[in-house]
Amino acid sequence: MTALLELEGVHAGYGPTSVLHGVSLTVPEGGAVSLLGANGAGKTTTLRAITGGVHWSGDIRFGGRSLRRMHTEDIVSRGIAHVPEGRGICTELTVDENLRLGAHMRRDGAELRKDYDRVFAYFPVLKERRHLSASTLSGGEQQMLALARALLMKPRLMLLDEPSLGLAPMVVRAIFEIIRTINRESKVAVLLVEQSARIALDLSSHAYVLEVGRVAVEGDSDELKGNESVRRSYLGY
Amino acid sequence: MSSVLRQRIRNAPPRYALVAIVVLLLAGLPTVISSFLTSEWAQALILAIAIMGLNILVGYSGQLSLGHGAFMALGAYISAILAHKYKMDYLVTIPIAGVLTGGIGFLFGIPALRLSALYLALATFALAVVTPSLIKRPKEWTGGPQGLLLVQPDPPQPAKDAFAAITGTAMTTDQWIYYITLFCALLLFWLAWNLLRFRPGRAMRAIRDGEVAAAASGINVAGYKTLAFGISAFYAGIAGSLFGLATGFISPDTFPVSLSIQLLVGVVVGGLASIPGPLLGAIFAYFLPIESNQWVPSQSWIPSQIASTVEKAGPAVSYGVILIVIMIFARNGIVGLVESGYRMLQRRLRGAGDRETGQMPSGPQTV
Amino acid sequence: MQEFLQLVVSGLAAGGIFASLALALVLIYNAMGLVNFAQGEMAMFATFIAYALISRGMSFWIAFPVTLVLAFGGGIAIQRIVIRPVERAPVLTLVIITLGLATLVNGVAGFLFGYVPRPFESPFSSDTVGVLGVFISYRDLGVIGVSGVVLLLVYLLLQHTTVGLTMRAAAHHPEASRLLGVHVSWMLALGWGLAAAVGAVSGIMVAPVLLLEPNMMQAIIIYAFAAAVLGGIESPLGAVVGGLIVGVTVNLAGVYVPFVGGDLQLAVGLAIIVAVLIIRPNGLFGRASVRRV
Repeated sequence: MTALLELEGVHAGYGPTSVLHGVSLTVPEGGAVSLLGANGAGKTTTLRAITGGVHWSGDIRFGGRSLRRMHTEDIVSRGIAHVPEGRGICTELTVDENLRLGAHMRRDGAELRKDYDRVFAYFPVLKERRHLSASTLSGGEQQMLALARALLMKPRLMLLDEPSLGLAPMVVRAIFEIIRTINRESKVAVLLVEQSARIALDLSSHAYVLEVGRVAVEGDSDELKGNESVRRSYLGY
Repeated sequence: MSSVLRQRIRNAPPRYALVAIVVLLLAGLPTVISSFLTSEWAQALILAIAIMGLNILVGYSGQLSLGHGAFMALGAYISAILAHKYKMDYLVTIPIAGVLTGGIGFLFGIPALRLSALYLALATFALAVVTPSLIKRPKEWTGGPQGLLLVQPDPPQPAKDAFAAITGTAMTTDQWIYYITLFCALLLFWLAWNLLRFRPGRAMRAIRDGEVAAAASGINVAGYKTLAFGISAFYAGIAGSLFGLATGFISPDTFPVSLSIQLLVGVVVGGLASIPGPLLGAIFAYFLPIESNQWVPSQSWIPSQIASTVEKAGPAVSYGVILIVIMIFARNGIVGLVESGYRMLQRRLRGAGDRETGQMPSGPQTV
Repeated sequence: MQEFLQLVVSGLAAGGIFASLALALVLIYNAMGLVNFAQGEMAMFATFIAYALISRGMSFWIAFPVTLVLAFGGGIAIQRIVIRPVERAPVLTLVIITLGLATLVNGVAGFLFGYVPRPFESPFSSDTVGVLGVFISYRDLGVIGVSGVVLLLVYLLLQHTTVGLTMRAAAHHPEASRLLGVHVSWMLALGWGLAAAVGAVSGIMVAPVLLLEPNMMQAIIIYAFAAAVLGGIESPLGAVVGGLIVGVTVNLAGVYVPFVGGDLQLAVGLAIIVAVLIIRPNGLFGRASVRRV
């Protein structure tokens, strides 16, 4: 498998405070990778560095090309869909308008219609609520909307920042099931940031554990799951 | 006793010497310039008073008023009406105008508390635009569009004598008015300095930098904000009153919107939240249009048919450019520039260069 | 009664003019949380451009759209050159900059075109037509019609096109929009362009009534402020409704309230602004804003 996304010794921070101290990681084409670690370890900052939301040094390559000095808008138009922490739903707009926003760069009408059908098959509730304001959706539904909107960008890679945040366990399970389907069926690579390691490791094939801005452990998801000491010291379950 | 004084003077920070020099220069100015120029400098000082007031409001309490010309108008008309209708001595009306305008400004500050900075700017701007037509209405008091003519006072005998003794020339009315103005300006700048370096100034700055945090640390946010409005209006009222004295005539057209803009230019050019700033800003904002009016006709390359247009448009264009450029490149005005230049010089002398920050590329900042 | 109705109709015509300028204000407010104090002066400048085109022999109905296109470009240029460097500055800074812009544009107009008021030919005849016993001038009808069409076009653009959608998204959720590939800064520029064009409509419509000179919009901008505030400063619909209400109110007050008369109509605008801000700061259609700490 070839590498789709590569981070090499990435340092990043906010103003004078640096958060990442040389993070290197790889997401293969169509792969599913999780990025774990405690609060403040730099998981969200890693994702924000990838889409240009924070200043960084080192190198980040996507599809073999460096993302250095690129603007967020241009990075995402190369095929990275970033579902940020808190989902980034435009609550002033309707559900449908949010979806259209995801698709606004697409020029392939027929393909797009198919993608809409697929998205509504994944999330029937969104079709029902199409014309309602996005602010009327529940938390789970907003997460679904964020995923659906990201899918309509026709990404090669999805960056998911804590999709389980604040959701009931039942809803979390349903959403992760769909993320798995998206990853397998549509060959969309996934880089998943999660606090709850267990569900993340179930989904991903490879995982990195961040500790204060550095990769502390990396390995096969199953291996990490099986490794008692890693589980105890880093994953906390 | 005098050695103690000498000791004190020797130990005073260098800026005190600077202040003393400026005061002496301003006091000596009328003896070396023409009577006409003296009158112009008096008006510049008046503008400085109003700008100091606006600076207290904008620079310290963070409330933007674009309608301070209206408070000047109020002060001017209070004095003029008291002097005109009730035959009061004009000098007595000056503090009355200040206090009344300040009181009204204080009351004005109460509803202003409820407005966001943006809405306050909007409402005060509207006030500035409407002011001339509001003045015209009560004709029997304000003289309507014709305005009011004021009698300028002759210098009193003691002042005449003192002036003659020092300079050997007779004091003119313009010079007398200049000294009244200078006295008021010095008094009010001294007051502002005292007000702002102690508790009220700190409280207001804290409010400007974050109301919630200020309130959390026990500062009476509403109280200080309305107080700032009141003080600021007091300054504008005095300035307006003095303005009537200096020009001898006021009318609705004395207080157009552009006066409020001129005040804002003065605050911005001098530097927000600075004490010497308003003086520099006032000199700049006052003399720019006057100088341009004198400069333009003297330039032979400007065709005479359009010279009057250029004279009229010049100040507006330059005010506009100045507001924009300063706000983009030097938000702390002249004083800020001088200070940062001074600091840079100090750093250079110490040999510590600015540490180069590492390569930090990539798109828009989000923090 | 007849007089009353006539005043209402001419008030609506004035209201259409105020509404256009108010809508321009709302567009920029929505894009960056800022009241553009230069909006009126930009409209005045565009009107001078229309005047220059017409006086060189162009017909009104060609000069009108050409001016709007030029105003659109001018608005974008202003945003790129003046506003963009300070996009993230505090609102106080931005307000002072737009005020500087207003002064600058006013001065430049004075420099280029002079301060002598010029008559601006209305494209509509001053004849009247009787409708149900009320005589309405074609001029008023024309102004109402043109403003109506422009406002409708803006509505369609914002609500039913992809560009409009991305503009709205960029205005309300810049961060999220950027992650969806929206060029937020350009959307702000488009907002400025659109606002400049819509504002230009108000200038061109009001010039035949007022005579064209650099200070022409000084009163109109106050009425537009009143309209925008009354409607709720973030609501395009509110700007339109607010504009019409202000237009009719001011017109009626000038005739029926003896104290107001002709010379204090502007004070009615100020009174509306102050009253709304104190009693109902969110206006008629504005959402209650949440103050974030």
